[in-house]
Amino acid sequence: MKIFKDWPIRIIERKDFPEQLIKVRGCPKKLYYRGSWDNEIFAKSLAIVGSRRMSQYGLAAIKKLVPDLVANGFTIISGFMYGVDMASHRETLECGGKTAAILGGGLDIISPPENETIYLRILENSGLIVSEYEADFMPTVWTFPQRDRIVAGLASLGTLVIEAGLKSGSLITSRFTQEQGKKLFAIPGPINSTLSQGIYFLIKEKGAKIVTDSSDITNQKIKGNQMIIEYGDSLEKKILELLGIEALTTDELCKKLEKNVSTISQKMTVMSMGNKVNESLGKWRLYK
Amino acid sequence: MLTKIWSAANYGLKAVEIEVEVNVAEKGFPSFNIVGLQSKSGEEAKERVKTAIVNSDFEFPNAKITINLAPADLPKDGSFFDLPLALGILSSAGAVNKIEEKSYFFGEVSLDGSLRHTRGVFLLAILAKENGIKNIYVPRECANEAAVIEGIKVFPVANITEVVRHLNGQKEIIPLKTIIESELEYCGPEFDFAEVLGQEFAKRAMEIAAAGGHNLFMVGPPGSGKTMLSRAVPGILPPLSEAESLEVTKIYSITGNIPAGGSLIRQRPFRSPHHSTSLVGLIGGGSNPRPGEISMAHRGVLFLDEFPEFTRGALESLRQPLEDGFVTVSRAAGSVQFPAQFMLIAASNPCPCGYLGDEKKECKCSLHQIMNYQRKLSGPVMDRIDLHLTVPSVDVNKLMIDKDKYVGEKSVAIRKRVIAARRIQQERFKGLKNIHSNSDMKNKHLKEYAQFSDPANLLLKQAVNKFSLSARTYFRLIKVARTIADLDKKEVITDAHIAEALQFRIKTDL
Repeated sequence: MKIFKDWPIRIIERKDFPEQLIKVRGCPKKLYYRGSWDNEIFAKSLAIVGSRRMSQYGLAAIKKLVPDLVANGFTIISGFMYGVDMASHRETLECGGKTAAILGGGLDIISPPENETIYLRILENSGLIVSEYEADFMPTVWTFPQRDRIVAGLASLGTLVIEAGLKSGSLITSRFTQEQGKKLFAIPGPINSTLSQGIYFLIKEKGAKIVTDSSDITNQKIKGNQMIIEYGDSLEKKILELLGIEALTTDELCKKLEKNVSTISQKMTVMSMGNKVNESLGKWRLYK
Repeated sequence: MLTKIWSAANYGLKAVEIEVEVNVAEKGFPSFNIVGLQSKSGEEAKERVKTAIVNSDFEFPNAKITINLAPADLPKDGSFFDLPLALGILSSAGAVNKIEEKSYFFGEVSLDGSLRHTRGVFLLAILAKENGIKNIYVPRECANEAAVIEGIKVFPVANITEVVRHLNGQKEIIPLKTIIESELEYCGPEFDFAEVLGQEFAKRAMEIAAAGGHNLFMVGPPGSGKTMLSRAVPGILPPLSEAESLEVTKIYSITGNIPAGGSLIRQRPFRSPHHSTSLVGLIGGGSNPRPGEISMAHRGVLFLDEFPEFTRGALESLRQPLEDGFVTVSRAAGSVQFPAQFMLIAASNPCPCGYLGDEKKECKCSLHQIMNYQRKLSGPVMDRIDLHLTVPSVDVNKLMIDKDKYVGEKSVAIRKRVIAARRIQQERFKGLKNIHSNSDMKNKHLKEYAQFSDPANLLLKQAVNKFSLSARTYFRLIKVARTIADLDKKEVITDAHIAEALQFRIKTDL
């Protein structure tokens, strides 16, 4: 079996950083990393941070949002800590997405140690493990807040906070995010939970945007790059055109487009999941 | 004088050897009594046998005749014993030589002495083979059923006179040649998919259902072709294997459904019982239990049209067979198991009048009626159905125009793909008991046998959120995707397979 030390540690200089990181106040001169660096993976990226003491509610929120985010091409950046961080990395990997982990210590110090498998999985799925410290540097109390500015800095869109107490490190990441002029998203939690207090502080005092559905995030334009993926190929366009005229059955679509049933069926599933069409009694219509 | 003749009675799906003891006493007041046969059929048999003997120009002995059918406690009804009864009487009276070799005699006689088509001949032949009996005498019309069993001599008997002459050595009956299975001609399916115009989506669903052994449910207005599509399904299922063919033939023999001159059943059965069919008619039963419609559909297709019209009891009773592949019928006399491994195709209208959502005809049902109707579409049986689809009505005008240029795919071509997919499954489940197709997989098997690509996993997760899939629906979806991947000859399930499978998920609102 391959161990993580088989992956060489490389160094990237400040001039090669993604644009959004270079602008950050206190931007490091260089970063150590494992994996293969490509600024492209940060072009559409979101940081997800939150409590180490994640509740089932937090996990449910991750499971609901991350698949859609990955499907929309987002790279998920997080801090490789247990709780929300780890759940976000894991869910992204399960959906076949890319994720980058920013460590609070050196690249050879896996903390918490039981996460070596996920460390490897991130690398195997062409993700990145990043740190600003030497390989054997032990993480300390003050390195974690330092690390947070890179988490916020690498994300192109902004930061999503899932469950945070009033003294949570997530609030530090949030502060960096807003200082850097990026979007801050928060998922509202139960009002009586201590893990919601930090969230409500962000919503009430800091103007974080409330997220209840992935579209709250995916509909945002990404600052700088203006990158919005144009969905839909020519087939999808034709289907939308046809359905604009009248409601049609799968069979009728196949005939008009001269495609076989499986192809159309697959397309219709994807389109209905994107809320573009819906079906009732066997007929497809444009989603109102 | 006492004569013993051997025959057989059917109990459940087995034939049981019966000893027919006939005593024609020299003393005593002339009478004719049968013991060991249920009263009513005993009375009837007496009259038939007596008249048949007289009409065959033999003398009916004017003496005290007592007949015992042993074992006496086994319930016996029907008319199988007419031939042994007649021969026993004639033999005791001295008109027939003593029968040297133990043989089975079986069949109902007509008043003129000829033998009629009798059910259960196939099972008799199996029993004969098991017990090492060399000769069996059965009605000519159904002798072909027995002739598929090797190692026994089957004598086709036309009437009583013929068999008496044979036994006396005057004129021999020539035994039938053994029918070898491979010589039997496979006659094509009743319906070919190419005959059904359009409905490509439904056809694809049928193909998937056939390939993975899934049950299927379709909703559609009257005249959309639901029945025709279902009738064509046996034609795309793989051919019956030899063992399967024997199983089906047994059931058909016992219910008397093999036509005169017919032998092994080579075609997958298609049964479509009406919704008014009684519970016993559907699942089997009776004091001497006989298989019902679901067993008649064993290894084939059970089509339940107007599904919500079936009584709740009938639908409930389908649960065990759908789960286990057999049905247990328990009666006072004992319990019997009938095989019932069928593919269920259920069909329903969208509402009681059938025109809900139709563009040309107005639906006349009230909301209350529609709710009541659809409520019946939930419950234990629906939980066992993997594929759900809507079959839209077909525009007659378009049909007329397209008829000439329309070239549908022939059943034979679809069947090839189904067979290939089934072969992959056979290979996959080789070491597992009771799992033959993807639909048989339990949840614990999915992890091992249904591997996803990353995009597939992603799509699946999104779908669970988007369509609020229940755990049950989720597992069914994976099984269907597994079958679609098998049809595609892929080991790993991709997002395309999941996307297609999602089209067949259960939809909560119609």
